[in-house]
Parts: sequence; structure tokens; C-alpha cells
Amino acid sequence: MEKITNLKEKNAILTVSGLSKHFKYYKTLFDIKKNVIKAVSNVTFDVLINEIFAVVGETGCGKSTLSKLITGLITKTSGTVYFKGEPLDYGSRGRKLRKDIQILFQDPYSSLNPKKKIYKIVSYPAVKNGIIRKRDRVNFAVSQLKNVGLQENTAYCYPHMLSGGQRQRVGIARCLSVNPELLILDEPVSALDMSISAQILNLLMDIQEKTKMSYMFITHDLKLVRHIADRVCVMYGGKIVEIAGSAEFFSMPAHPYSNVLYDSMMSFDFKSKPDLSMKSLSRTRNEQEKIKPVKNSGRNIGSDKEYTKGCVYFDKCYASKDICRVNEPPMENKDQGGNRAVACFFPFSRPNP
Amino acid sequence: MSLEIRDLTVRLCSKKTSGKAVDCCDGINVVDSFFLTVKEKEVVSIVGESGSGKSFLGLSILRLNPPVISKIIRGEIRVRCSSQKDKVDILKLKQRELTGARGRLISMIFQDPNTSLNPVMKIGEQITEAILAHRKVSKAEAKDIAIFYLDSMNINGKFQFASYPYELSGGMRQRVMIAMAMVLNPCFLIADEPTTALDVTTSLQVLKLIKDIKERSNVGIIFITHDLTIAESISDMTCVFYAGQVMELGKTKELIENPIHPYTISLIKSIPTLSVNYVPKQRLSTIPGFLTEDDFSDGKCRFYSRCFRSNRDCLKNIPLVHYDTDSRYVRCIKI
Repeated sequence: MEKITNLKEKNAILTVSGLSKHFKYYKTLFDIKKNVIKAVSNVTFDVLINEIFAVVGETGCGKSTLSKLITGLITKTSGTVYFKGEPLDYGSRGRKLRKDIQILFQDPYSSLNPKKKIYKIVSYPAVKNGIIRKRDRVNFAVSQLKNVGLQENTAYCYPHMLSGGQRQRVGIARCLSVNPELLILDEPVSALDMSISAQILNLLMDIQEKTKMSYMFITHDLKLVRHIADRVCVMYGGKIVEIAGSAEFFSMPAHPYSNVLYDSMMSFDFKSKPDLSMKSLSRTRNEQEKIKPVKNSGRNIGSDKEYTKGCVYFDKCYASKDICRVNEPPMENKDQGGNRAVACFFPFSRPNP
Repeated sequence: MSLEIRDLTVRLCSKKTSGKAVDCCDGINVVDSFFLTVKEKEVVSIVGESGSGKSFLGLSILRLNPPVISKIIRGEIRVRCSSQKDKVDILKLKQRELTGARGRLISMIFQDPNTSLNPVMKIGEQITEAILAHRKVSKAEAKDIAIFYLDSMNINGKFQFASYPYELSGGMRQRVMIAMAMVLNPCFLIADEPTTALDVTTSLQVLKLIKDIKERSNVGIIFITHDLTIAESISDMTCVFYAGQVMELGKTKELIENPIHPYTISLIKSIPTLSVNYVPKQRLSTIPGFLTEDDFSDGKCRFYSRCFRSNRDCLKNIPLVHYDTDSRYVRCIKI
């Protein structure tokens, strides 16, 4: 695989092109042919240097699979990922890459080893990567913990002695201990309370300003995206349906699914509040489920075989026409500035109030 | 129709007992002098952070609190349904009457639909089980009732009656849970974080459904959540709950537009706003520290250690202040 040539022009730290991951499974014990779930299919995007890139989508849309593909925790089916211009290959340069790309997991209650003390958890990646010697690890861990706003004495605690917010800070300290260049945040605050999640978000933004690293921020909450991200990427059914700059996106989401997400956002001082009357149900998936109940498919969004043709969001879309069923909408720049790409034949063009 | 909770206090045991329910009055008050009134067609949300005891409160109202480690030491929970003349005090019921009251007078939706349904029973059976236990109907009638309630939750009842929980998505499972709670036509419903385990779009559907149920069936709802924005969108009254105590109670609109207690103020400030003149990457204001067991001790304001307004006066006992309008309570001496 050749290097990317126009890297300098793009200024990208991570370039994903045509990445796919298909899971195969047997529906029943005696099934003859394998069924395919396209968890991630043909995904293309860049993460620029010193940028917070947000990936938004509902459960099962493939955003966590995407993060696992980039960190090399599962193998891809097809496509390429370039990290700083070089193809990502965990086989030959795995250790070095793991140092440069770190991931912060969703649930702080299950991502820390309950049998290890905090200083061991925090210093382990640095020791393994030869950044510090083993005898320095307590001091190293204490300095790392101070960076994320924890007290010294937490170094000798076990994870069960800490609260959720503190654990997530320990997770951040562990990620930062090897000075990564790209940090993947897989729903870092969805398991936390409002006030605690505000603390963690502030911390993440402070760190990003100080170290100039790139974030890939995976979440299902658009409110946080608006707060933290430079660019937004909306995923549905394993495909990217919209990529846009944060300001452009929040002034006018173009894809119908982005609009559904946008409308379900809840906050104060928001002019058009989510409409909680039953009339507005037709805009969401509810009515569709009522008309066409699907048996034996727990998560039936866009991943089964019947969706191979046409738009992924076809059957839940309020703007869909016949063309959407047959042809898959290409990812196109619909904006003059080139800061927005939408995969839809009928994108929204009204200015949002 | 009304549900009145007065002075409800639940105490945890500090000592480990040998598996028996014993008289233990030495722990912290995990729910302390709680009071609330819910009328018909009213949604009251209880907002608090994790560890503040709000789920324990929800369980205690139905006396479902774990008996070995906790005890309701005082208080009264009076329920009156439209069919009854007198009020029933849940805390004075005998075990057998209590079983009859659960689900019929007050029903409950639990937090996580993935774990609160029985994975080896069909959802239809789980619903009919509840009907058969409480009402004298035949199995066929019970099935009809179950299908009717599933249909009213936007689930194709006939089709999904024989489904197992694993065949349903998270939102559908939660709707099955709501159908199960509503199937005995209760007067009051306690919803313990029904949307926390769900996506934004799915949780919006569940909220719509709960609001619709309230309109249709006159049920009064206690909605437990940790998200003030959800509380604002669904409820008439909001109770801000911290360390087992009511910190502020009032009409939702007034409470959010004009918060008085320092905890409510900081909580509202910590939510990212969506206003037009908003600067991206602005730091959110936070509440320093976190809730610890020490905060539950008596004799001082429980929010003392994290409050931006606290001083020495707050170490004295904090009275509950009755604010100017008739339905506003604030537990702070500095207002």
C-alpha cells in the first residue's frame, strides 16, 4: 500500500478510506449459509491534526466498531486506514502504534482492572513502552494523576474505592501516560452524571488545548458534540450520512436522520423544544415499527442483507422517494464552502430557527 | 386521587447482620424526611445525582427496599385511588395487603429494560402473569388484556406476544416494561430512570409514550432521573434531591427559570446550553468534589462541602424554608 501523497495539503493525522467490517454469523444452529452484518461499510473520513472530530449515531450504528478498527482491536474486512500518511498495520509496528493511538473506554466501572492499584494501572503503558523505568512508576503515576486533577493518595487506592468520575479520570491519565497523538474517546461521559460529566469534558478540553492532540469523540449526545467538536460526522447503519463543520451542522443539519437527532436534543433555552405529543411520532422510527414489525432481529438498523441496495435510512426517512430505495445516495459536497458532505438525494435546505 | 408522602425516613444498617432483618438504627439516613404530594395527571420528577439515594427512595415507596440492610423508620405514604373512600397507608399494610397494593395502587418501571425482564419467559407470559395474580380472569381474557396494553404501547401485540426479550430492541423492551406496569391500571406509577439506558431518539419515544399514558389514563407519575433537561420536558413539579434530602421543590418552570438553592443553580449551569449566542469550547461550570458518605451525616447542611455559598452558619441544622409561593420549598438558610 502506497503512502498518501496529498497529506501535507490535507494536514490529516488519520485518514480512513473505504473501511468496512462485516461480521458473519449463523442465524440458527443448522443454518447452511452465513449471514452478514455490515457493521461498518465503506466509511471514508479524515481526522485533522489538533482537531476534535465527533462521531454521532445511535446504538448499533457501528461507531464503537469503528473505534475498535482504528485501534486494531478487531481486524478489518476491507479498506485502508492511514495514520500520519502511513498505512495502519498493527502486525509489524503494533507497539509503536498503540503508543500513538490511545482509546478511552465508555464504562469506567469495567475498564479498570479491579485487582490492581491505581499507580500500577496508570504507569503500566509507560513502563511497557520504555518511557520510564519500573522503579520510577509511583512518582510517574502521581504526576500523571495530578495532571488530571486527582490527589496523590489515589495512587494507592483500588478502583472500587473511587467514584465514577474519578475512575474516568484515572482512565484519562492512563491514556495520556504515553503521550499519544490521537485519542479515541468512546462515549467518555455517557455513564456519568450531569455535573460529573461537565468536569470530565472541561478536563478533556483543557488537555486538548495544552497538548494539541487530536480527538475522535464518539457519542450519541449531540449536545456534547456542539459543545466540544470542530467537525461532526453522523453515522447510521454502518455508513456515514453526513460530515460537516460543527458550526455549519448546528446551523442547519442537512440529512433527514441528522434532523431527527437534532430534534431529539434536549436542553434549556432551546427555542423549538422536542415535541412530546403523539402527532410528531411519524418523524421517528416509532410508526415504522408499528406497521412493519420485524421478528427475530434485535437491532434491525441498516445492517441486514435487505439493505444492500439503496439508502440505509430509507424505511425510516420522512423524505424518502422511490429513487432512495434503488440507488444509494453518494457522499456529495452540498455546500459552497465544501465544509459539508451529505449522503442524501433530498437534503434539508431550510435554515433552522 | 392523591399520593402523599410525609416525613419518610429510611435508614441503612452500618453493621453487617447475619442475613436476618433486625432492628438496626445506627446507619445513615439514606432517605431523610422526604415529603411529596402527587395528584392525578401530574408528573413529579425527582432529580439527583448517582448515589443520592433516589432509586432507594423509589423502592421504599413500594416497600421494596432491601430488608436486611435497610429499614423505614418513620413516615407515612398515603394513597387514595378514585375507587376508594379512605386513604391507604402503604407503611401500615400487612404483607398480604401490600402484595395486592403493589401494581394495583402503585406500579413501577425499572431502570434497565435489559436486565429487568425474565430472559427465559415470553413477554406475553410475563404480562399475563401479573394480570392473573391480581385479577380473577381466565387465561384467554388475560391474554386479550395483555395484547390490548401492548398495542397501546405501539407494539404489535398479537405478533410480539410470543417473543422473548432478546428478540426486541432496547426501546421495545422498555415499552414492554411500561405495558407490564400499566396492565393493572394503577393509580400511580414510579418510573426509575426509564430512559437512561436508551439512545436519544429512543428515549424521546419513551418519554412521549409516558406523557401520552398520563393523558389517557389519569395516572400520577413519579419520574426519577438524573437529567434536569428530561425533567423539564416531562414534569409539572420537580424535586431536586441530594444526599437523601429534598433540596428544592417547586413547579418545574419556576424552578428552572428561577433556581434558589445553590445545588440547583450549579446543576443547571453544568448543562451545555443550546442558546444562539453561545461560544463553543467554553468551559462548563462544575460542582467541585463528589458525593460521599460523610455528606449523609446529620446536624449540618448536606451540600455543605460542595457549596459555593457555604460558611460556618451552614454547619448548624438547616430548616426547610417555605418560599413565597405556596408550592416552593428550599432547604437553604442563605436565600
